[in-house]
Amino acid sequence: MIRETLTRLKFLIARKPAGEVDEEIRLHLEELTATYLQLGLSEQEARRRAFVVFGGVQKTREESYRQRPGWWLDTRRWIDTLSQDVRYALRQLARTPAFTITAILTLALGIGANAAIFTLVNAVLLKNLPVADPQTLVRIGDQPDCCVGDGSSPDGDFSFFSTNTYTELKKSMPEFEELAAMQAGFGYRPIIARRDRAGENARSVMGEFVSGNYFRTFGLKPEAGRLLTDSDDVPGAPIAIIMSYETWKNQYNSDPSVVGSTFWINTKAVTVTGIAPEGFFGDRMMSTPPEFYLPIESMPILANAPYVHTPNTQWLYIVGRVKPGVALAPLQEKLNARLRQIFLDSGRFSAEKDKVYLPKVHATLTPGGAGIQSMQKEYASNLHLLMGVSGLVLLIACANIANLLLVRGMARKTEMSVRTALGAMRGRIMQQLLTESLVLALLSGLAGLIVAYAGTRMLLLLAFPGAQSVPIHATPSLPVMAFALGLSLVTGVLFGVAPAWIASKAQPVDALRSSTRTTAAGASWLQRGLVVLQAALSLVLLVVAGLFSQSLGKLQGTDLKIQTTNRYIIHINPQAAGYSQTQLEALYHSMEDRFHAIPGVLKVGISNYTPMEDNNNGYGVQVQGIAGQRTIASVIRANAEYLDSVGTRVLQGRSFTTQDTSTSPAVALINETFVKRFFKTGENPIGHHLGNGSSPGDFEIVGVVEDSVYTDVKWKNHSMYFVPLMRRPPSATGPIEKDDNLYAGAIVLQTDRPMNDLEALSRRTLASINPNLTVVKFQPFTEQIADRFTDQRLIARLTSLFGILALLLATIGLYGVTAYHVARRTSEIGIRMALGAARLGVVTMVMRGALLQALLGLAIGVPIALLCVRYIKTQLYEITHVNLGVMAFAVLTLTIAACIAGLIPAQRAASTDPAQALRTE
Amino acid sequence: MPPSTDLLQGTLDVLVLKTLAVSPMHGWGIAARIQQVSEEVLQIGQGSLYPALHRLEYKGWIASDWGTSDNNRKAKFYSLTRAGRKQLATELAQWDRLRTAIGLVLGEGGEVPA
Repeated sequence: MIRETLTRLKFLIARKPAGEVDEEIRLHLEELTATYLQLGLSEQEARRRAFVVFGGVQKTREESYRQRPGWWLDTRRWIDTLSQDVRYALRQLARTPAFTITAILTLALGIGANAAIFTLVNAVLLKNLPVADPQTLVRIGDQPDCCVGDGSSPDGDFSFFSTNTYTELKKSMPEFEELAAMQAGFGYRPIIARRDRAGENARSVMGEFVSGNYFRTFGLKPEAGRLLTDSDDVPGAPIAIIMSYETWKNQYNSDPSVVGSTFWINTKAVTVTGIAPEGFFGDRMMSTPPEFYLPIESMPILANAPYVHTPNTQWLYIVGRVKPGVALAPLQEKLNARLRQIFLDSGRFSAEKDKVYLPKVHATLTPGGAGIQSMQKEYASNLHLLMGVSGLVLLIACANIANLLLVRGMARKTEMSVRTALGAMRGRIMQQLLTESLVLALLSGLAGLIVAYAGTRMLLLLAFPGAQSVPIHATPSLPVMAFALGLSLVTGVLFGVAPAWIASKAQPVDALRSSTRTTAAGASWLQRGLVVLQAALSLVLLVVAGLFSQSLGKLQGTDLKIQTTNRYIIHINPQAAGYSQTQLEALYHSMEDRFHAIPGVLKVGISNYTPMEDNNNGYGVQVQGIAGQRTIASVIRANAEYLDSVGTRVLQGRSFTTQDTSTSPAVALINETFVKRFFKTGENPIGHHLGNGSSPGDFEIVGVVEDSVYTDVKWKNHSMYFVPLMRRPPSATGPIEKDDNLYAGAIVLQTDRPMNDLEALSRRTLASINPNLTVVKFQPFTEQIADRFTDQRLIARLTSLFGILALLLATIGLYGVTAYHVARRTSEIGIRMALGAARLGVVTMVMRGALLQALLGLAIGVPIALLCVRYIKTQLYEITHVNLGVMAFAVLTLTIAACIAGLIPAQRAASTDPAQALRTE
Repeated sequence: MPPSTDLLQGTLDVLVLKTLAVSPMHGWGIAARIQQVSEEVLQIGQGSLYPALHRLEYKGWIASDWGTSDNNRKAKFYSLTRAGRKQLATELAQWDRLRTAIGLVLGEGGEVPA
């Protein structure tokens, strides 16, 4: 054994000279020739006989070579055969350009679509934050709860925390190397930034308030200047902020003088001390990543936010880095215990009153490497659906290519038979055919990358309309290229194996037979099977597309109970413009007057939130006198004209008037759901009082309005109440300067006709009141509503696109197979027609074949489609089963496509000239 | 196309080793000798002979050397190595055992199961 290994090793190092085997064979042949010469044959005859008797020279050579030891030699030999095969494959593909281009195009579409969706999947679901060592990052909290409040969830789960909780945890949890805090809801609170230079405009941008050790926790290095430190996050410190790389590049042209320059944030002066590293888009995936990072302690000054130091108001996410070697389970226990203690100490909970709830209080430790997972949860199911759908389309495309290859294989039958006769081994032929398929697939994969790039750009445009710097790049990254490569290889094997297997079964004797007589029965069944599969999958995709379109239709068709004609929404941020609460009343009057002065403006509504916006605010509410009932209701603070401006009708009682001021008796309007929730049928809510738990008599109910939809169509049956803009609850004790709720978020304008220049007019009007009053966003009401359906629209469009693509591919597949079979049966058809078959009979015969395959596909596809609904039900709006209309539409579409696919070859068959057909033999 | 050899690969190896145990020989000679000794029954095709020779050489049981044949032609001569001699003994013993076992099953002697 050892000697054997040693000998092989010896031969590994000191290889035999290459020509030795040839030499040996040559000598053997000479011996044989000599023998035959002696028997009296001629020189030529003797040589020929010697070769024949020797057998396969090449085969002997190859076999002898194959005995050589060493994996490297084997690999070398494999590489040699591979390069030979690849070159041959390229030559073959170049010889049939029509086939090659069709195949590459089809596959490139399929692979490219998959790669485009994978780009999104990779960026949103798989990638970690571009920070140091993401595996050791841990988030305290598991839900994407947002944004400011002191509510508790029923199961005791806490996912965002107050400043007090954060500082206490930081002090008492040494198991964390670093613990950083970041603002949960910065997406809803833009800041106004303006460089301190002449001619610079103020911009409403995203700014995130973070703790001093935020960048250190993530292990980031600045692109320029320095990043935040703990000393920046101290009350009274000079305010230092960090700018994002994208902003520095796009807005300020990477001007190095930005570092150290003064900026006005919400009308206060700050210094930009550094630029965040390139590629860092914050701690979460967002279509509008932060342009600035600011220290938490600067927030009371910059944003006039009163909750920064309120012990029990939650507004921060916490992410930290655990020390190496720390076990997570005991850490979790300790964390929960500390949390409960902190809540007790701060008075959030009391030991007696919350006896039942307190033990439930917990915060789940989750992996923090991918940051705060808000977008991921939203989009995960959508992305999985898209991956599945695009995968099915690729499968259908592969079936087409497989069919094409089968046909091509049959055309090359003669070639294969001859090769086998000459001594080629079956495995070798299969290897060569598979290499052909793989070469085709890899070329398609390369072309697919181009499709992927274009597709990703289109997807991003559709998914994030109007977003400036989406943190997803369309250029294929390394994981995407690897994915495309892997997919190409799998695809190549998938569609190449069966045709290669069938083609390599060629018998040498077939080379002698006339090709028109042979029928490879196995191949024919495979072809038909593939078409049936395509039809089934296409049906499933069509049904899915139909369901999503139906869902979108339902959503968009919901009665929102508002009026949208000639209405425009201007989002504003008076808090960022530097207004204190005491200045607001005058501001609102000023806005009402100036906007009314614009010709064409009928109503000017001012409120904190508008219908179909992406945000709202809710509080616990009770009705005085109705015990035991408590719910969370959304609260809208609005001026007198607001309800008219959005078109919400008053059903009972009265609306607000200009007499309802900050000092007049506190009145409220409630919506229908509120009435149903608290009052029995027939009971009159007018005259009752509502308020929060401790003072339910705050506001008198004076009117009932209809259930206009706020935030989302899917958010049904939630109670709402409306109060005048500046009216604080009579029971409110704190100073007005600490009441964050009085800031309006939007102005709603109703005009008497469509006005295209209203945006510019609005900007000027606001600027005339105060140059710091920038327009955060200006949209016609219809556009704001349409924005809320972007996702559903995207999914509906994409599934429809894929459905149509699948149908097209399946139709082409069916057409190809039918046409091929018609061509092969030309002589048979000729005989039939010569014997008197009518043209119609021929057409029927062909059509019957085609339709049978389609019907079989339907028979398989319908149950699968019905089953699939279960998996996508959660993404649909109010759809639990496949609507008969959708199914009927899909079935009909497929049948018509099948008819067209079969009709064209059928016509050609019917127009065969019998004499011509018989002659083709 | 029928398989390359009708003989089991291992059997061919032992035939070659035994032939070379008598005297060193070149490939042409080995095939001729086996054919002759087996009274024309065993005809080794070149397609299986040369690969077998190379395989045996790589395993270290035979060694090769260039020399001249009896009719003054250049030829590659193979000879048995010491390891090859040992391997031959092992393989002969194995072949004996196998032959006896097959014989028993085919009813050459001993009991025949009912």
